[in-house]
Amino acid sequence: MKSPSLVRILCSCVTAAVLVGVWTPAEAAGSSTVLSLSLLPEEVILSGPGASQRLLVLGRGADGLERDVTSQSQFVLASTGVVQVDPAGRVTALMAGETTLQVHMGGLTAQAPVRVSQEGVQRPFSFSRDIGTILTKRGCNSSDCHGGVKGRAGFKLSIDALHPRDDFRWIVQGGVYQVMSPEAASPVEPRVDLNAPDRSLLLRKPTMQVPHGGGERLAPDSTDYRLLLDWIRRGARYGEESSEAARKIRRLEIFPSEVILKSGDRHGLVVLAHLPDGSREDVTGQVRYESSNLETVKVDSDGTVRAGNPGETTVLVRAPGHVVSARVGVVADVVTDPARIPSRNFIDDHVLAKLRKFHLQPAQRSSDAEFLRRVCLDLTGTLPPPHRVREFLASPDPDKREKLVDILLESLEFTDYWTFRLADLMRVGHISTGMAEHGHVYWQWVRDSVATNKPFDRMARERITAQGYDGASRHFLQNGVIPRPENAMAEQVRVFLGRRLDCAQCHDHPYESWSQDQFWGLAAFFKRVTRSEWAGFGTALIYDDPEGPDPDFGAGPDSKKTIHPRTGREADPALPDGSPVPAHTQTSPRQTFARWVTNHPWFAEAAVNRFWGQIFGRGLVEPVDDFRSSNPPTHPRLLKALARDFREQGYDLKQLLRRMVLSETYQRSSTPRPGSEEDRINYSHSLPRPLDAEVLLDAMTSATAVAQTFETTDKGLAPPGTRAIELTMPDLYPSDFLDMYGRTNRQQVPERSVEPSLNQALHLLVGPTYTERLAGEGSRLARLLDAGASDGEIIEELYLAALTRYPRPEERDGLAQLVQRSSSRGEGLRNLVWALLASREFANNH
Amino acid sequence: MKYAGCLLPTPEVLARRSFLKVGSLSLLGMSLSRTLEAAHLMAKAGKDAGSARANSCILIWLEGGPAQMDTWDPKPNSSFRPISTNVPGIRISELLPNLARHMDKVSIIRSMQSLEPNHEKAVYYGLTGHRPTPAMDFPGVGSIVCRELGRINHVPPNIVVPAKAGKQHYLYQKGQFLGPEFDPMLVGNPNEKDFQVPDLSLPKTLTREHLEDRRTFLNLVDSYYRKKVQTAEHAKMDRFSQQALEMITAPEVRQAFDLSRESEKTRDAYGRTSFGQSLLLARRLVESGSRFITAAGHDLNGWDTHSNNDDRNIKQTAKLDASLPVLLEDLHQRGLLESTVVVVMGEFGRSPHHNSKAGRDHWPHCWSLLLGGGGIEGGKVVGASDDRGAYVAERRVTIGDLFATLYKAFGIDWHKEYMSPIGRPVKIANSIDDETGQPVSELI
Repeated sequence: MKSPSLVRILCSCVTAAVLVGVWTPAEAAGSSTVLSLSLLPEEVILSGPGASQRLLVLGRGADGLERDVTSQSQFVLASTGVVQVDPAGRVTALMAGETTLQVHMGGLTAQAPVRVSQEGVQRPFSFSRDIGTILTKRGCNSSDCHGGVKGRAGFKLSIDALHPRDDFRWIVQGGVYQVMSPEAASPVEPRVDLNAPDRSLLLRKPTMQVPHGGGERLAPDSTDYRLLLDWIRRGARYGEESSEAARKIRRLEIFPSEVILKSGDRHGLVVLAHLPDGSREDVTGQVRYESSNLETVKVDSDGTVRAGNPGETTVLVRAPGHVVSARVGVVADVVTDPARIPSRNFIDDHVLAKLRKFHLQPAQRSSDAEFLRRVCLDLTGTLPPPHRVREFLASPDPDKREKLVDILLESLEFTDYWTFRLADLMRVGHISTGMAEHGHVYWQWVRDSVATNKPFDRMARERITAQGYDGASRHFLQNGVIPRPENAMAEQVRVFLGRRLDCAQCHDHPYESWSQDQFWGLAAFFKRVTRSEWAGFGTALIYDDPEGPDPDFGAGPDSKKTIHPRTGREADPALPDGSPVPAHTQTSPRQTFARWVTNHPWFAEAAVNRFWGQIFGRGLVEPVDDFRSSNPPTHPRLLKALARDFREQGYDLKQLLRRMVLSETYQRSSTPRPGSEEDRINYSHSLPRPLDAEVLLDAMTSATAVAQTFETTDKGLAPPGTRAIELTMPDLYPSDFLDMYGRTNRQQVPERSVEPSLNQALHLLVGPTYTERLAGEGSRLARLLDAGASDGEIIEELYLAALTRYPRPEERDGLAQLVQRSSSRGEGLRNLVWALLASREFANNH
Repeated sequence: MKYAGCLLPTPEVLARRSFLKVGSLSLLGMSLSRTLEAAHLMAKAGKDAGSARANSCILIWLEGGPAQMDTWDPKPNSSFRPISTNVPGIRISELLPNLARHMDKVSIIRSMQSLEPNHEKAVYYGLTGHRPTPAMDFPGVGSIVCRELGRINHVPPNIVVPAKAGKQHYLYQKGQFLGPEFDPMLVGNPNEKDFQVPDLSLPKTLTREHLEDRRTFLNLVDSYYRKKVQTAEHAKMDRFSQQALEMITAPEVRQAFDLSRESEKTRDAYGRTSFGQSLLLARRLVESGSRFITAAGHDLNGWDTHSNNDDRNIKQTAKLDASLPVLLEDLHQRGLLESTVVVVMGEFGRSPHHNSKAGRDHWPHCWSLLLGGGGIEGGKVVGASDDRGAYVAERRVTIGDLFATLYKAFGIDWHKEYMSPIGRPVKIANSIDDETGQPVSELI
């Protein structure tokens, strides 16, 4: 079966995937038959004798799935002496040298090069690697246990041993963590007992020799118990910082990073730690595995993944200071005959690759009517009028979709809608800027930015550094008051970098490697922001005062200082990576902050993700502004590609949107193919999504042609014909409808929740929006009746206006009959208007 | 104007007092059948018997923050004198003479301590037990009770009355990450003429038959899309639509909100104010099956007496004293006080000194509240403030302790923690310094 010459070729190739197999038609008959073998990782590199590494053997079957066949494989070494290998696929180094590992299974062979370096394994004691690993693997430092912000039951650990020095102190010295002080509170009770090491709380608690809220975590006969005990016996020392640095994990790598399984399958994982000296260490058995969805996947402590119900989820892998994840898909049936879908741009390449891999069938291309409604709503937040619908549907032009997109991108409605979207994101409003004059100039800045298609990075810099009377500067006047530096900073980071840092205000971020010091270093860039004295409307000038803002009236001189709450010292501007910050004697520190934000790779990623979420109904990272290692993107490579493209195109929003809406991915029908109905994250079909409150209200206005009026609390009216998305300061206009359907409160970074609710259902049945606006004078229905239209014509026109499509024959006939059977024609037609507005099809963008 | 410790009651107050003296069972329009109905509802709730007796809670929200020394914790630095009550040893301000006759029904906690000195944050803190943080939104106590106990029948379980545009306390009663089904239903001012709950009853132009007709149209319009596009939302919306239809057509829901079913005498007895009618509506809702009613009708922010504290307090307490005792007596006579917790509180107290405008400013360090019913003992005083009502002198009680007491009355485990969507544990009875609140053992 194997060819010696091929072995030589492969041995000389260090990186190539080793994939050899002889295919016979008989073997291809059943799906369980393995057609080819491959190995993961593709090579074995061991740093000196004693080091070891596990291999996974994957067999590709006729169904295209790769199964873990390690346990059914035989391992043979090309030469003896360099390494030895056990039946489970673990290779252990004996001496420096090179060889080849051959794997046999079901008549197939695969091989991997093996290299053992000269260096012996240097493993000086490291607190984080030797003790922190145990605390992480056993779940002691998880966020719902001692890794919680304040720890648990008086004992605090950093999550995933992120801060080993602190952990060491809590264990060896004891004391109770306090949020607002670096001092530990009593009882100061050491967790180790150097005189009687086996009496240490660190051992007696997890073994339940004394009551432990976390239950038994450690068996007294386990290796981990012995390791902890030995450490205490040797004096419970922290060890040398140099060994800590030498063994610190730089990066974790997980094999495979994507796995597709059938329900009931098992599959191994291998986790490698990359160390500062470039060597790698197999830490598969020393990490903690967490499945994000236990119904889909369970993971054993040795990294064995067990597939449950169909679905897709993430397996998080935690090691000291690091979290990585693998995506695991569980399929019920494999797709043997994937639909042929063309790829129009790189978006489609990435999306289709994942669909194929996860055995999901992409839906058909959308119909013209489906596309028209969707793209009008997504680009302009506006329904097309009936005559435009007729025109588009009738056009035979093969390029009509591209032409439509170009028209929409240059339309006034585009400017209206994206002004609304960005005004929402940037919190343009009355209360949020203190007064109507502020809100208006701020709104005007957003509108000008959209109208001129200002590069998004410039928009970000203008907003962050805004001063004087600039429109954008008005957002520093929340209720007329300059926000606290920490709030101003965290808001900019959330809006422009998609990260939520707020947790780190009071304590080190519990899940991410954000420290409280980094938080306050960033906050301090905003500590000089101040405003001039009040001298009438619109006069408040925003500037950075080197002396900082005046103290609060009647309060001490420190009342407006930016004080790190834990250290009690004034915070100074500092970037998270510790890079030097220029002295800001002449310029605003915010300029340094703004450059840091827009030059950061996160900036483009966060932006494209936010706009992707807007266009596709779900972010690649969701929620769109909650990037964190434990919330990985569904399509990491696509996210990077979009971000690169956005940067290369000069942060051109229109160009980005054009790319998105012209992809085949966007143009798919919302009707899923069988087997893909449950898909919500892979874009196999267009995701139906509820219209946002403002867009829904405007859609009702345009469908019924009954104008909505907006009235302020003091009875001022918005100009007639103003649409909900055109309100410059929505918070001036109370509206039960908009509140009920989840418009945002512009005093906070928007988080729309447009979940159906009982209040909506009640309103739909008997609320004024759905009862009083159906058919008044001048309404679409009244005009059609005046013009003498027949029932059939009215039904068609209302369908075009509300649903952007012609009624189907059964709908036209059925509804005409219902109208005729109604107590009066008018009554029947009003019922029809209501039914159209109340329908799911109307309320959704699909 | 100075009231050197002397209060001259207005003719209205006098009239109301004499009315109440006569007033009793018959005036409040109590009927035997209603009592039975209430008992039946409680049985239906299927609660774990144990020691828990509460089915519902009425939270009477005195927004703005009443001055403790001018209400339930009389002190020498008040312009008003203490009077004795129907519980020997308990004295309250002379501004509350009617309440003084019902002190056996509720207890006073005189050692409340909270954290936030400004209104919005303090209201948030008082209703959630958490200080506001941009990192996350915490669910309100009402939504937690509803989530833990579920609804009794079609009557909405969580109610805020009246909910006024621009006022935010209702936001803080939201379910947040618990889900929108626990959000409070917002009800308008029940003292307005033609008070009707929007979207809860058929407009005059619509009949039930109309609704049926419309649904026939809707079924036809919707059927294509529902086949074409499958989403869990359809089912969710259907569930809500069904519930909505049941609510709109269920007699008990309409009746619960229908104050016109109360006699004029009862309505007068509760006081023809937004506050009085909110309390009356709260009682009807308790009878009908609501879990948690935040009755916030007391002249929003009226207790925020930064100037002319004494004058304004006279007005505020007159309204309070006219209606609260009526509610307590009514609940008692209907046998509902046994199963209904009544809490009377603001977001903080007021400063021990008068400021330059003869007002009192915000004071979270020590303040008082009333608590009783639902198995929580009345007629007691818990804790004590110092001689000016400025700081806690004995037995601090926190918002977390208050919530724990409430939960215990309901049979809810107050140690419970929720996990937020990002994995942050959230105590349902969060006390100061991340402690878990403990029930006030003197009362339950």
